[in-house]
Amino acid sequence: MTYQQLIFRVDEFWADYGCLIMQPYDCPVGAGTMCPATILWALGPEPTQVAYVQPSRRPSDGRYGENPNRFQKHMQFQVLLKPSPPDVQETYLASLEAIGLDLTAHDVKFVEDDWEAPTLGAAGLGWEVRLDGMEITQFTYFQQACSLPCKPVSAELTYGLGRLAMHLQAVDDYRDLKYNDTITCGEIKYEEERQFSIYNFEAADVEMLWQLFDLYEAEALRLIESTLPLPAYDFVLNCSHTFNLLEARGAISITERPGMIERVRNLAREVGKTYVRHREELGFPLLQS
Amino acid sequence: MPDLLFEIGTEEMPANVVLPALDQMAQMMGEGLDGLRLSHGEIATYATPRRLAVLVSDTADRQPDREVEYKGPPAERAFTEDGDPTDAAFGFAKARGVDVGHLAVKETDNGVFVSVTVKEEGRPAVEVLPEMLTEIIAALDFPKTMRWGSLDVRFIRPIRWLVALLGSEVVPIQVAGLESSRVTWGHRALSPEPVELQDAADYLDALEQAYVIADHRLRRHTIIEQAQAIAAEVNGTAVLHDDIVNENHFLVEWPLCILGSFDQRYLELPDEVITTVMEKHQSYFPVAAESGALMAKFIVVANVAQDAADIVRAGNENVIGPRLADAEFYIQADTKITPEQSLDKLRRVTFLENLGTLYDKTTRLQVLAKWLCERIGADEAELATTQRAALLSKTDQISQMIGDTKLAGLQGTIGGYYALVAGEDRTVSQAIAEQYMPVAADSALPVTMAGALLAVADKIDNLASSFFVGAEPSGTKDPMGLRRQAHGIIAICMDRRLRFSLDDIVSLDMGLLPDLPEAQTPDIAKATARLNDFMAARIENFLQAAGVSYDIVRAVLATCWDDAVETIERAEALAGIRAEDGEFEAAVDTATRPANIVRPTDLPADVQVDAELFVEPIEQRLWDAHRECAEHVVAALSGRCDYLAAWEALKSLREPIDDYFIQVMVNVEDEQLRTNRLAVMRELDRLYLRFADFTQIVQ
Repeated sequence: MTYQQLIFRVDEFWADYGCLIMQPYDCPVGAGTMCPATILWALGPEPTQVAYVQPSRRPSDGRYGENPNRFQKHMQFQVLLKPSPPDVQETYLASLEAIGLDLTAHDVKFVEDDWEAPTLGAAGLGWEVRLDGMEITQFTYFQQACSLPCKPVSAELTYGLGRLAMHLQAVDDYRDLKYNDTITCGEIKYEEERQFSIYNFEAADVEMLWQLFDLYEAEALRLIESTLPLPAYDFVLNCSHTFNLLEARGAISITERPGMIERVRNLAREVGKTYVRHREELGFPLLQS
Repeated sequence: MPDLLFEIGTEEMPANVVLPALDQMAQMMGEGLDGLRLSHGEIATYATPRRLAVLVSDTADRQPDREVEYKGPPAERAFTEDGDPTDAAFGFAKARGVDVGHLAVKETDNGVFVSVTVKEEGRPAVEVLPEMLTEIIAALDFPKTMRWGSLDVRFIRPIRWLVALLGSEVVPIQVAGLESSRVTWGHRALSPEPVELQDAADYLDALEQAYVIADHRLRRHTIIEQAQAIAAEVNGTAVLHDDIVNENHFLVEWPLCILGSFDQRYLELPDEVITTVMEKHQSYFPVAAESGALMAKFIVVANVAQDAADIVRAGNENVIGPRLADAEFYIQADTKITPEQSLDKLRRVTFLENLGTLYDKTTRLQVLAKWLCERIGADEAELATTQRAALLSKTDQISQMIGDTKLAGLQGTIGGYYALVAGEDRTVSQAIAEQYMPVAADSALPVTMAGALLAVADKIDNLASSFFVGAEPSGTKDPMGLRRQAHGIIAICMDRRLRFSLDDIVSLDMGLLPDLPEAQTPDIAKATARLNDFMAARIENFLQAAGVSYDIVRAVLATCWDDAVETIERAEALAGIRAEDGEFEAAVDTATRPANIVRPTDLPADVQVDAELFVEPIEQRLWDAHRECAEHVVAALSGRCDYLAAWEALKSLREPIDDYFIQVMVNVEDEQLRTNRLAVMRELDRLYLRFADFTQIVQ
């Protein structure tokens, strides 16, 4: 199964389940969780079932394209089910079967991994799902997002598509992974990984990044005050990504981190509050349908 | 009699919560059954990642009948003088469902009352059990709980099924939108169909048929045996750390240990890095050769049947390789940077907000370490090692290895390794590696003196800095683990008997901290005092853990203490004296007399004893005895810390003090006389306080 076939299969599986299939969000995000369709939709009482592929950037994870399965940008498949259904684990396992895994021939484990995204004030309890020792999915029951309690609770599934694809094709290096029948991931991704690793670790202008962080923060605050939570949130994402770049450049100490994280978290909280208040003013329209 | 089975089926629970939850369940079940007067046999517990179960043998299916006596109104209200029942008697009889003729009259301590004894029929167990079982679920205490769906229930993970069976009969309960039944579930993949239990007693066998070993003790045993056997096949030994074994036996329901390999070249990585990757990332068991050296092997505990072994092995081998490659990548990248370059980078890394950089911290550590070296009389070589180690101590903080959160626990260890690679002296490397010790209560302490001094200096600086900016622990909030660090200081100091003044080193350190923005300028004296109280509380914990009684600890900490080791030794000495010396109680009684009389007064601080004002001969005798005793006490306590000698000297005051109180009245009318006598009392009190505040001793 090629990489792109894998994407088609999970899309199809979750579309059949009843999910809205969205397209990737167009701001840099560290994880599919950070897209508005997860972090904001998880807030408030309105039900939702949504899934989408999301390219996610983790500057510190870059390895100049040389590590077989670590990248500064990787593809996630994100599912949000709100409220979490009682058979969510079984449905998830069925999705693995749908992509061709024989569950009796593999070791699938749900290993405690209480997920937390401190920059977003988001936290949940759940697992990392290990397939033969490889973490293929983060499975989380959202308890809190944007520092607000989640009621009802959403189940969030984040598949690491690259790892799954490698497992299915039984290759141990992304460079050998077939994206389709003619092109490998190595051919598509290597140069991107190499250049961005150089940028993230060596070339990024630290002074400029510090300035950008401040500018993005100020803009987010201004937009929150204007009750424009959605545009404001884009600037929160930019803040967060800039923070990650600064971290990749080694410009933030572990003792300095908490203060920076708190700045982003405060923004996310205000966006979340404004977003929920606005949905309430609209009468929580999805609650009726 | 039937068995009682209660199984809570959940989504996968965290491994470390299962055993404590089982203990609670067993205890609540026992108390609950006793409370319901249901006789029972043994209470057994079983658990897997997906279930918590209690199986009680020979449980009564019905409560025994019993006779219950109910107290009614006073006899004088229940019966007229003629002995006829009143309305009160009729009302009471009716409420208890008996004829008024069955009422008895009983004399009690509070008077004479009407009573009735009613025979109560026992209820069937299936009727009384539901409330008790429901209560168990509600009362289970977990370190962290969650909500799910639209429910308002909290539990460790979502509850998915409930089995409650008394013999073959379902005990009906409803929790979290579920109803109990006789249906449990087997292994997710190997036995996906529901498992219907005919009888509670079938539990273990039925689950085994469904590829679940429900008995966790058996699973643990199986894992250990399998791991040892497959390691032996390659002439190795499985490295079975308890925490990893424990985690694994609650990750699987049907364990199969599988041996895998990784590339030999990764063995060049430091052992701590390899084992951290294996154990902390992957929950694998490392494998060691006969020599003790690590082999390029690992053992994974899988939740599969034998025929899946090859696929699972190959999958895991594909995981561990890149993980180790990551660590190798970090080391290659990190060691390209010289220690001097790293130091320079530390100048741009903030330590704590407003408290300068990690480089500044490094500078402070050098000063503190030098000060400590002087206090303990370290030689030139030790001083040089400590200085160099302090300078390089934080360079790993900017490394990529420590930047990886899953490897951050290697801080110090990896710094020591990088120092060695950079050609630093082995003693310097080891001191750097030991600076965060002890990493937990009761874990290893630094082996080298330089490591011990650096570890103390680092912790002192963290404490002093945090208190300086007012970021001290409160309640459960202690993000930097300052309590643990303070305990670490005490443990290291006691281990090596490092004697120094906490006040002095804290003042020295606070003096080195940068000025804060004006509005936040701290009151250093107050910050020091709060830190002092904080350390006193840790010393108290240390002594209580050592079995020293509370009043002794308080008596010693109520004095002017300054040196943790000396204070602890003094408390231990006093505890020993109390145990050994038959005169202890009497001596303490005497010791408290001057305190009791002088402390409640407002004697001005500047009043001195004037021997000219003594009237009775005993006054001069006591004063002479005081002077002589003081000389002995000071000599005994300063320097050699001979607490027994100090105690013996203090005991010499007993006779003159007791005589004094027989012959002399302190609180006399004459103010000059009274003041002078109180001044004598204060000097005596102060002398005792050099050892302990004996008024704190509970006789």
